[in-house]
Amino acid sequence: MGRTYKMKGQKRKKKEEKYDKGEEFEQLDEKENSPSPKKVKTEDSESEKVEEMEPVLDEMPGIPIIPVDTGGKKPGVIFVLEKASLEIAKVGKTYQLLSSDEHANYLVKNKRNPADYRPDIAFQAIQTILDSRVNKSGRLKALYVRTQQGLLLEIKPHARMPRTYKRFSGLMVQLLQKLHITAAGKGEKLLRVIKNPVTQYLPINSRKIGFSHSSEKLVDMYNYVGAINNDLDLVFVVGAMSHGKIEVDYVEDYISISEYPMSAAYCISIITTSVERKWKIL
Amino acid sequence: MAKNSSTESSKKKKNKNKKNIKSKLSVLNSEAKKTKGPKENPFESIWSRRKFDILGKKRKDDERRRVGLSRSLAIQKRQKTLLKEYEQSTKSSVFVDKRIGEKNEGLEEFDKAILRSQRERQLKLKKKSKYNLSDGEEDEFEIQDGGYFPERDDFEDEEPLDEDEADQSIGSGRKLILGRGNHHEAEPDMDLRSVEGQENRQKTKKEVMEDIIFKSKFFKAQKAKDKEENEQFIEQLDKDFASLVQSEALLSLTQPNKMRALKALVNNSISNDSAKKQETTIAQNKVPPQQEKPDHYDKLVGEMALDMRARPSDRTKTPEELAQDEKERLERLEEERQKRMVAADDSSNEDANSSEEDDDESSKQIRHISGDDLGDSFSHEAKSTKVGWIDEILRRKNASEVDIDDAAGSGESEEDDDDDDDDDDEDEDEDEDEEEGSDRDQDENNKAQSLKDWEQSDDDNIETNLEEEEEDDDDDDEGEGDDGIVKRLDMVDQKKISESKGKQKDNAGVAKVKTYVKEDLDKKEELPYTIEAPKNFEEFSALLENRSDDQILEAIKRIRTYNAITIAAENRKKNASRIHFRIYVFYGVLLQYFAVLANTKPLNFKLLNMLVKPLMEMSAEIPYFAAICARQRLLRTRTHFCEDVKNTGKSCWPSLKTLFLLRLWSMIFPCSDFRHAVMTPAILLMSEYLMRCPITFGRDIAIGSFLCSMVLSVSRQSQKFCPEAITFIQTMLMAALKNKRRCEASQLYHLMELKTLRPLLCIQGHVEKIDSLDFLMLMDLPDDSPYFASDMFRASILFAIIRNLRGFVSIYEGLKSFPEIFLPISKILHELVEEDQIPDALKVEIKDVAQHIESKSQEHNLLRQPLRLRKQKIIKTAVPKFEENFVKGRDYDPDRERAEMKKLKKRLKQEAKGAVRELRKDNHFLLDVKERDKARMEEEKAEKYGKYRAFLQEQEHAFKSGQLGKGRKRRR
Repeated sequence: MGRTYKMKGQKRKKKEEKYDKGEEFEQLDEKENSPSPKKVKTEDSESEKVEEMEPVLDEMPGIPIIPVDTGGKKPGVIFVLEKASLEIAKVGKTYQLLSSDEHANYLVKNKRNPADYRPDIAFQAIQTILDSRVNKSGRLKALYVRTQQGLLLEIKPHARMPRTYKRFSGLMVQLLQKLHITAAGKGEKLLRVIKNPVTQYLPINSRKIGFSHSSEKLVDMYNYVGAINNDLDLVFVVGAMSHGKIEVDYVEDYISISEYPMSAAYCISIITTSVERKWKIL
Repeated sequence: MAKNSSTESSKKKKNKNKKNIKSKLSVLNSEAKKTKGPKENPFESIWSRRKFDILGKKRKDDERRRVGLSRSLAIQKRQKTLLKEYEQSTKSSVFVDKRIGEKNEGLEEFDKAILRSQRERQLKLKKKSKYNLSDGEEDEFEIQDGGYFPERDDFEDEEPLDEDEADQSIGSGRKLILGRGNHHEAEPDMDLRSVEGQENRQKTKKEVMEDIIFKSKFFKAQKAKDKEENEQFIEQLDKDFASLVQSEALLSLTQPNKMRALKALVNNSISNDSAKKQETTIAQNKVPPQQEKPDHYDKLVGEMALDMRARPSDRTKTPEELAQDEKERLERLEEERQKRMVAADDSSNEDANSSEEDDDESSKQIRHISGDDLGDSFSHEAKSTKVGWIDEILRRKNASEVDIDDAAGSGESEEDDDDDDDDDDEDEDEDEDEEEGSDRDQDENNKAQSLKDWEQSDDDNIETNLEEEEEDDDDDDEGEGDDGIVKRLDMVDQKKISESKGKQKDNAGVAKVKTYVKEDLDKKEELPYTIEAPKNFEEFSALLENRSDDQILEAIKRIRTYNAITIAAENRKKNASRIHFRIYVFYGVLLQYFAVLANTKPLNFKLLNMLVKPLMEMSAEIPYFAAICARQRLLRTRTHFCEDVKNTGKSCWPSLKTLFLLRLWSMIFPCSDFRHAVMTPAILLMSEYLMRCPITFGRDIAIGSFLCSMVLSVSRQSQKFCPEAITFIQTMLMAALKNKRRCEASQLYHLMELKTLRPLLCIQGHVEKIDSLDFLMLMDLPDDSPYFASDMFRASILFAIIRNLRGFVSIYEGLKSFPEIFLPISKILHELVEEDQIPDALKVEIKDVAQHIESKSQEHNLLRQPLRLRKQKIIKTAVPKFEENFVKGRDYDPDRERAEMKKLKKRLKQEAKGAVRELRKDNHFLLDVKERDKARMEEEKAEKYGKYRAFLQEQEHAFKSGQLGKGRKRRR
């Protein structure tokens, strides 16, 4: 009898290995991508040089000189959306992403608070992140979304998320059932449910910054980002919920970037803008 | 009785067996209970948990399970099955309980017994068994029931059986019962046959036929009956109607006349058929003295009968037919003219009586009466006919064509309504084209054509204006970049043009009328209507000798009409090639005539202008030949030019003829083509002139700037960059600088080495007014005329150059290299502004242009992107694939077959895995059992070994100790 249990145990181990392989593959991907960060970095340094050169430039009008990309490691950005309310339920015969305005009655019937179910916040936030110039220039390293249930989703930066909420909810329904979404045409997994905790995926040399209106530390985002060392990867932890604040232990620094409470999407846009300014992404 | 006893005995046996089994089972159960009952396995109470719980999702039965429980259940099951098998695998014989219903646990003991007895009966009733010899009591007993079998024959066995045994067949087998049932049903069927038997029974053919006949008869009778009823009804109606008429209620409603007819109708026997009725009514109508007046409708009918039938109208003519008609008309007219010529001689005799001649006489008289009549006899006659078809075509054309142009065509003389005057409507021009039978598709080219016409009429207008020495400055206000000397450019807004045009036309019209009157007076000879195309230039010039301009044009027109190329197309077989050839020759002659005319010293500019139109139209008809002509001429001009450039003494700037030809070609051929057989070399030639000709005299500058303007007009459409013109302008501007600073502009100096760079355009004195220059006048002046040295000339030419420059600036605005091209010029312009003697108007202009250039180049500088090794790449995105309304487990493969296959494969795999798992577990189970057995054996062995060993040891001990008696004692 004991044997059978043992066998089962081995099998599970195997699965884990498989999963780890996927991770490795992913890491390989990152390595492949690594040349681009290099480029970015030198551009920064070059651009600084350009600033010095600018008085010289004026002598030849019409021919602006711009730094040459010579490669080098560039730091990236990682976003973590905490407490996103992405939960699916079987409503009637179909599975749906629970949202307060669509399923208010259903939620009340199941003794949930409808106000907590706001997947549109996560939708907006994801859209803002993926639409930013930081992402387009290839410097968004990863995007993680942690749901209120504690599921951790990974969204690849090059995934083109659906533009409409309806389609987004469809995507989420499938993701939360199937646990991964592949790219159309090829087998690459664009979205998947991964294991907690998120810290195991964050780079070692990174600055983890949490955002909270409740924080005492009120800063100007651009100045704050500008002060951070250029070599560090930046991890921004933003809450994608309507009420409450994020409480995660891995965040090194909680800051507040405005006197006013802000929506997640707008907060993200401020972050991305300041990062773009810092890295001179136009 | 014997049977009963036997069954009882068997039952007893069975019961015994059952008891045995039961006891065994109970033992097993109790064992299971013992194992399960006392020690409640805590693992069995744990339910399986879902990893990702989904709200509202019901758990399926296979999902809600207790893993521990199922595991222990599986073990139990194995104990029941596998373990047994394993135990029996070593045995040589097996006890198998094959009693009926023994394995079925749902049955009671009694039911099992019933089943068994049933089976027994069935076995007995089998056919085979009836041949069995009876042995013993059981068989005797049976014979009472079914003993008839041997007595009867096979064929009868069914029928007697059912009657006799129907009631007492409780004990018989199922089959028989069923058979009997059938027969019972069959009997009442026979009774019911009369009612519903037909349905079951197949009808015979005869019956069917009878049926049909009966039905048809029935229907016939029905029909006859219906008819009769109808007739009766009609009669009834007639009667009713009669009474109604009698009642006079109707009378008030109808006309009295009709009333009478009605009455008559009623009086007549009602049985008449309708034809008879009509006859009688007609008769009745005739009888009364007071004739019945036909009412309105009748009148209409009568009229309609008398009406003419509509005739099919003539079909619209094709262009070819129109051309043919026109030719025939000309021929006819020529004939008449010939006749008239004779008749005019005989007019004193007045012998001719033909009606035609009368007409001619009358027309002649009219002509005589109005001595200063505008046209010849033709135009009057022509007009009437012509207008007809022109209108027709106009009507055919869509109304969109009717636009501002219509307003333009107001002030013109009657005489030359179509061809001669450029003031004509655009539409009419097009009609003209159609008349001439152009090959191209009119409808398609409408737009292009109209544009062309516009250009042409435009230019001609201006040129006529110039001839009349009217320097109109409205175009300066337009600021569209015309050079003000000679040309107005083609691309000027059409609307604006049309505004100014109206006025001009009026003037021109009046002027023309005057000239025509004069010319008519000194007209010597009438033009023949049909003119063969002249074979060579001499012939043509002989024809045109001493003719007025209008006559020349008319002649050309007639030649063209007479030898229209579409006619040639029509009778292609016969003389097409001949006519083609004639047309070609004529075109060449005409071109030559144009060139010669351009070279004559007192320039007939108006005639030149007029020639442009037929030339253009003809070259549209024969584009290939026109291109060949143009190329040949270009080639010749080029060789001449090359020779001229070699001997330095001679001025190599193009003559007026060349200029005009170039201009003509630029109007005939499309300038915007990327590569054109004529225009490309023409542009190259112009550029070469600008580049290579040394500038020595003032006139050279004028010609150069004219060429510049031409290049401008050409490249305005094609957007081609022509650096020569720009360089020329730059050179000229530098020539206007007084001081020696121009030498500093070293980057361009090498370009100007060839050209003598005296300050030709440097304005010394004060200039009050800047006039536009007349290019033709300038060309007429001798080289060393003092006018070229005057400040007036310089200011004007500078003005013109600046205007040209502005045009180029506006064209090349879009070029990427705009700042590099024009910034040096703007520098020169700034220097020029600083000169003292420059008139204010010019200064303003220069400043304006310079500013324009600078602002534009600023814009370009702003737009410039930095040089990069490679463009910034955007990350490649991938679209996630997902389904609407995704449900887990459903296959979303569009290919159903594949999905099905996949499903089956998955199932197979699952099953295989399950089977493997089961087998593995079985193995483990067996292994376990074996192990246990082994262990027990081992234990037993060890025990036995110990026992024997102890015994032996004891024995030995006894032996050694010598206590022999002890053993003995024991044995006892």
